[in-house]
Amino acid sequence: MEMHLTPQASIHLPRLAELVRAEDITRVERVYEFKLADGAELGHRPGQFVEVSLFGIGEAPISISSSPTKRGTFEIAVRAVGNVTNALQKLEVGSTVGIRGPFGNGFPVEEFKNKDLLIVAGGIGLFPVRSLINFVRDNRAHVNRLIIVFGCRRPEERLFCDELATWSQCEQTEFLETVDTCDESWTGNVGVVTSLFPKIDIDAEDTYAVVVGPPVMYRFVVNECLKKGIPEDQIVLSLERRMKCGVGKCGHCQMDGSYVCQDGPVYTYSVLKQMKEAI
Amino acid sequence: MKPKVAFFDFTSCEGCQLEVLNFEQEVLQLLNLLEIVNFRELMTERSDDYDIAIIDGAISTDADVARIKEIRERASILITIGACSSLGGVNCLKNAYPMEEVLSVVYGDAAGYYNTIPARPVSAVVPVDYALPQCPVNKAEFLEVVKALLLGKKPEIPNYPVCAECKMAENACVFDLGRTCLGPVTRAGCNALCVTWGRHCWGCRGLVDDPNVDAATDVLKEHGLTAEDIVNKFRIYTAWTGGSE
Amino acid sequence: MEDKVISKADFSSMVDRLIQEGEYDSIEGVKTKDGKYFFGSLTNSGELCLDYDVTLLPPKKYFLPQRETVITFRQGERPAPEPVAEASSVVLIGVHPYDLKAMELCEAVYSAPPADPNLMIRKSKTVVIGVDCLNPNPQSFSASMGFATTESGYDLMLTDIGDSYVVSVGTDRGADLLARYGRAADATATNLARRDEVREMSLGRYEKSLSMPADEIPAILNETWDSRVFAEKSEVCLSCGSCVMVCPTCVCFDVEDTVALSLDSGERYRKWDSCMLTDFAKVATGENFREDRESRFRHRMHRKGKYLLERYDKPGCVGCGRCGLACLVDIALPADTYNLLKEAS
Repeated sequence: MEMHLTPQASIHLPRLAELVRAEDITRVERVYEFKLADGAELGHRPGQFVEVSLFGIGEAPISISSSPTKRGTFEIAVRAVGNVTNALQKLEVGSTVGIRGPFGNGFPVEEFKNKDLLIVAGGIGLFPVRSLINFVRDNRAHVNRLIIVFGCRRPEERLFCDELATWSQCEQTEFLETVDTCDESWTGNVGVVTSLFPKIDIDAEDTYAVVVGPPVMYRFVVNECLKKGIPEDQIVLSLERRMKCGVGKCGHCQMDGSYVCQDGPVYTYSVLKQMKEAI
Repeated sequence: MKPKVAFFDFTSCEGCQLEVLNFEQEVLQLLNLLEIVNFRELMTERSDDYDIAIIDGAISTDADVARIKEIRERASILITIGACSSLGGVNCLKNAYPMEEVLSVVYGDAAGYYNTIPARPVSAVVPVDYALPQCPVNKAEFLEVVKALLLGKKPEIPNYPVCAECKMAENACVFDLGRTCLGPVTRAGCNALCVTWGRHCWGCRGLVDDPNVDAATDVLKEHGLTAEDIVNKFRIYTAWTGGSE
Repeated sequence: MEDKVISKADFSSMVDRLIQEGEYDSIEGVKTKDGKYFFGSLTNSGELCLDYDVTLLPPKKYFLPQRETVITFRQGERPAPEPVAEASSVVLIGVHPYDLKAMELCEAVYSAPPADPNLMIRKSKTVVIGVDCLNPNPQSFSASMGFATTESGYDLMLTDIGDSYVVSVGTDRGADLLARYGRAADATATNLARRDEVREMSLGRYEKSLSMPADEIPAILNETWDSRVFAEKSEVCLSCGSCVMVCPTCVCFDVEDTVALSLDSGERYRKWDSCMLTDFAKVATGENFREDRESRFRHRMHRKGKYLLERYDKPGCVGCGRCGLACLVDIALPADTYNLLKEAS
């Protein structure tokens, strides 16, 4: 006997959303702007993620890249690496997708109030922190200093170049950037993201560091933050895991006893260092 | 426009092609989605213009090598169906003997008229996009792969042992019944068909990506097999060890 | 609630009446095949085995099926996804105490917000008749976990006292079912004394046990993360997932889409998954967060002994012994590992 439930009752049922804009960021990364079909706001916090459904293809967890201050629509940015993200690349504007979420805890934005904020993003780690950066820039009085450090492998892998330019030109934002390798046309800093740390002068006790990047980056950047004297509970990281259901049931994202999809993906270093499987 | 599909058979019993022909319910729907331009068991027309090549049978002659290379050049997607094309299969059992001996045993005085080379899976000669091992090919899996390709989705071929599916099917373990089984190292995807029907796993879907062969060998020994028995058991479907392109 | 007693013949008649009258969509109970036991649909009371040791799969499959459609949708511009929960009314007969405790954990997981309605609906439509386990299987250590018997999780609970069953009534629903279908009398003091006696005797039949009180397991796990026990035991692990597939408290699943051959509609389904399989923690970019056997083995032992307990306040292992029976390389039984870790710590 088959029963049809009320929509609110299923943890698996997505809301519908329309793709209103899609643009290439690089050859393999693209930004997508969606509008929920019922006209509602997504209602997310920076650092949260959604489960994006392409019906028949599947579902994938993708961090929200736009600030909650952007009304009416929201953006995700993705690298095409799996079935869903590859199919997204072929999606035409006007198409319908499914959205579940927002899920996860997001960045502890309230705690950043009246503090200095040092944001360190490596590669596509910029996608989730872009939500935070633009949120803070739209509420500029929320934090004191806003320092953004961005590193990627090569100049052609830089992301959201227009926004990087805006941030670097804005007087209220301190922006530092590096690439791992390049040819002579690149005039900026060359080296891994930690090579920028000697150039950063901070009041460590009053600073929150937000670090998002590939797993290999975390240990090095956290070390630099600790060397600068940033307290462990003011170093904030966002982790990637296989967040399949998003609601703490399916078990795939479990890290130690924590469900990354619900308890995370954002953790302070003071919590993470107690975990054996974290970084 | 419907993708053009061509079926080609190499060294095999043709059981896989018959299995595909056995799609009674689904065949009309399949023909709505695909245009079949080549299928020796089904039609006399032939065409060299196709998008998807579906191969059964192992590569076991010099002519086979040339032919599969030509097919690979024409096809944008190449799928192998069945154990022979995907793993080399039972054909590779002959590889343990000198080819001259093999020819003379099979063809006797006429051996000189024939060519043979050590049998190998298609992937040992040309790159394969998707391999669907099983003897014969699993119809349900074949359909899932066809649908996935039409949707532009990478088909999921399980990478875990048959035991997982066998437990889900709630079968009594073959080892508990006093027999032996290759389920612990064989790639799932068959829903433990043979055990469900009262037999044991023969390994016809090949090994998982990271099989614990040492541990499985110890289990087989504990259940009474000799080292030779074990080698023979494994060799039925996985005698080919030469790697792939 | 009060205790009743019913003769075995009358209980058989009760089962036959349940089957014949068709008030419930199906009557499910413990049956036998190949010398093993399993829960299956009963066509007459003669098929029912209540003196079994353990079933191949736990009755969890009735609440969290191996494969279950969770939404349906159309392909194309208007996908119109709809939630689905298949649920039928069932009387489930012969569930052992450890499996009842395991179901309580499954419920805790699936009712934690946001709650999954599918499992909860099925649970609400199932009348559960338990039976005390008097013949534990050789790998069972459920007595050590405190689950040789249970005071909760059932509508009715049977204890075999020879010619009859003592029937503990757990719920009004159970009392009602018994009143309508069974000819039960009030249990006498002699009946209850006999029940306590057979339960006591069953405790002596467990061949496996923990060498420490069960509530010490989390502390032992905390101290032994780097213990060689995990590496040594997992070296022979086949990563076959059998231990997880037969586990009554394993609740993890994978989710996949499939479409009709017409390509115009489809469904999303969830199916059992296992943290012991190689690719369980692998993400789309290729990173596998538990790539080696040791880390997967350690994770399972921690999940069974600590993580679920800390999260849901219920043990993640009930000691049923199924994993120990299913594991071809004899590494899966949590009690064995916890005892070794205790020794080493």
